[in-house]
Amino acid sequence: MSSSSESTATESTTAANHEIVVVLSANLHARPAGRLAKAAAGFTSSVQLEYAGRTVNPTGVLAVMGLGATAGATVTVRAEGPDADQAVAALADILATAE
Amino acid sequence: MSAPVGIVLVSHSAELAKGLGSLVQQIGSDDVPLATAGGTDDGRIGTSYHLVLAAIRHADRGGGVVVLPDLGSSVLTARAVLEDNPRSDITIVDAPFVEGAVAAVVTAASGADLQTVANAAKEARHVLKL
Repeated sequence: MSSSSESTATESTTAANHEIVVVLSANLHARPAGRLAKAAAGFTSSVQLEYAGRTVNPTGVLAVMGLGATAGATVTVRAEGPDADQAVAALADILATAE
Repeated sequence: MSAPVGIVLVSHSAELAKGLGSLVQQIGSDDVPLATAGGTDDGRIGTSYHLVLAAIRHADRGGGVVVLPDLGSSVLTARAVLEDNPRSDITIVDAPFVEGAVAAVVTAASGADLQTVANAAKEARHVLKL
């Protein structure tokens, strides 16, 4: 028995929802992806990274690298949950200052 | 935070294991207990029961150990070591060697438990590179 429904999204939520658009300072390669994954795991909010129409969970370092986002590209960081604000700020900082 | 999960890289080649170890520590963290067992006891291509056992002991800091073999006899040797030293908190993971090691170390560095680290390595098989 398995449900094919994915309709658990709630219309209205009391949890904070934050989003920041960041221009990458460097290619989103292995080292910044690693930093991003470690940082993302430290928040309770659910976090997403969106680039070129693809959305990945930034705790997955391989998925982040697989985005193939390069320096100058625009990436959206999104978080939903009690610490969404801090999560988005922390991840955006890593993306904007990566070398 | 509880003790970090340790990672053991088992390869036929000491250079391959050591090189991958350096890579994952750069991407992940050098705080994660990491040990490599590459090549035979006398430095040839192959695997060594003793080196695998020593690597597991080195990486074991109380949080459990994930063992990643490259292929073939690395798997057999790692299995033999674990059969002789059965522990519920030491597990061999079937994962791509490079990607699995990166995922495991980064996940371990975030403080995740043994099962989460092992799953991250396994999932590496399904993450597209391109």
